Amino acid sequence: MTEGVSPLLKFVVAIILLIVVAPLVVPILMSISDTPFIVFPPQGFTLDWYGEVLANSEARDSFLFSLKLAAVVTLIALLLGVPCAAGLTRYRLPGGDAVLGLILSPLIVPLIVIGVALLQLFSLLGSRATFMQLVIGHTVVCLPYVIRAVSASFVLIDSRLTDAAAVLGAPPHVVAARVIWPQVRPGVLAGAIFSFIVSFDDYPISMWLADGNNFPVPLYLYTVIERSFDPSIAAIASLMIFFALLLVIVIEKVFGISLARLAS
Amino acid sequence: MSSLDTTEPTTRSSGLEGAPQAGWRRVADSAAALMASLFGTRKAGYLLVAPTVIFLAVWFVWPVLHMIALSVSARAVDGVMVEGFTFDNYTRLFSTDLYFRILLRTVRIAVLTSLFAAIFAYPLAIAIARGGPGLARLVTTTILAPLLVNVVIRSYGWQAILNKTGALAYVLKLVGIENPPMLLYTEWAVLIACVHVYLPFMVMPLATAIGRIDRSVEEAALVAGATRLQGFVRIIFPLSLPGLAVGVSLVFSLSAAAYVTPQILGGNFTPLLGTLIEQQILTLSDWPFGAAISTMLIAMVLLMNLVFLRLVNRRFARWTGGGR
Repeated sequence: MTEGVSPLLKFVVAIILLIVVAPLVVPILMSISDTPFIVFPPQGFTLDWYGEVLANSEARDSFLFSLKLAAVVTLIALLLGVPCAAGLTRYRLPGGDAVLGLILSPLIVPLIVIGVALLQLFSLLGSRATFMQLVIGHTVVCLPYVIRAVSASFVLIDSRLTDAAAVLGAPPHVVAARVIWPQVRPGVLAGAIFSFIVSFDDYPISMWLADGNNFPVPLYLYTVIERSFDPSIAAIASLMIFFALLLVIVIEKVFGISLARLAS
Repeated sequence: MSSLDTTEPTTRSSGLEGAPQAGWRRVADSAAALMASLFGTRKAGYLLVAPTVIFLAVWFVWPVLHMIALSVSARAVDGVMVEGFTFDNYTRLFSTDLYFRILLRTVRIAVLTSLFAAIFAYPLAIAIARGGPGLARLVTTTILAPLLVNVVIRSYGWQAILNKTGALAYVLKLVGIENPPMLLYTEWAVLIACVHVYLPFMVMPLATAIGRIDRSVEEAALVAGATRLQGFVRIIFPLSLPGLAVGVSLVFSLSAAAYVTPQILGGNFTPLLGTLIEQQILTLSDWPFGAAISTMLIAMVLLMNLVFLRLVNRRFARWTGGGR
């Protein structure tokens, strides 16, 4: 009686979960409709809309561009973030709290404002290097996630292990490679995944900095939704939903990281 | 440091003698020695932190401060920029009816999104914290997986549901309601989609807070004859307030600054501050006014975070034995 939850609560939870899933299921249903316009329920069955989307070079280009952007951003965020997390957690730095505040503040300031502020600065500096600008803007936002995830695993390091290795004569670089790294690796992996997703899905920073030749996926999706009315947009939406499902499976099964851990 | 002093001259001479490989090995050794001598010292800590601090100072602090400065240092008069200290951009935001209505709408949407997100989040959070491992896992995955779907697509999903020929109209027709009022392109549509998009940010902190509540307190209440509803109102709700504070400040901040979702579901009829910034800067090139609206948005979000995270959390930390 005191264990678990009541049937009424389970019912309510089931209803809410159905509503949560609905906007992801409806586009998939609509994408197979054999009509020149979007309709619910779908009429007939065709996979032609998928063929049309996959043959579209614009869609493919922006998808590849976003993959490239997210990869570069994640690499830079790791290069900056992993040493920073080590410095913050392994050393008692005076002013460390202020540094942590600075690092986490891009999570509080609205993204759309960070984007417009950067655009203003770049035009002041006369910069035209769009790709570089996008990389910088995304890295500002991805860094806090990387540092938070990596710091969490640095904090968990068992200092008895590092002490034991040092006492037994292991030089510092060996301690770092053989004792510290294996314990930090899950945090680095979680940070990298988070950074990649945040960059790949970013709209409010890219909307200021992108141009026609550097056009990330979210902006492309938005223009498609604005201008077309046939089920091909439902097909694109479905492909993105399948892509996200694939990501969930890869993250949980291949990397062995639960979504809950990634989000906390 | 002493090891560096002794190795460096030899490194240099061996390099000159035309044995570059041996030379590089010496360089690598001395670099390792340098790192070793620094390892464990404060200086090394600062060296590790410095690149990130410099990066964020240049590409985050500088642009944001520059933008705030611009909002009070220039104003556009008939499309011509007039320099000089001014609060005109702010008075314009508050005194122009059109802009003030957008400001009010933004606050209204952000408050209502937080409220409805909290209402939907409590049953989910209780299921995660108090249900069995199977139920907890199902709810967590179903709530978090949509975060991996791009927000443009999630908003589009609601458009497909709320459209005149959409799924909701079809379901309503099945139960006998013909020609329901069109929700799409109204504030309701924006609200529904915002609650959906930001729900996970309410559920997770709430679930953490509820998970921390000692089960024996609830059990004691039930044994003493309290109903489940009383148990919620008198025990779970008050003890989960720190989690609620985190969730509300997150959801309020995110929905106040939302751009994509209001654009797709509200169309041109229900712009929020984000849309106003975009119009002023990209369409009208009124940078100082755009900067002032952006500064307002930062102020709103900071205020919300300060109020909820500092005051509320500190006050309840005493009761729950530790803040967040």
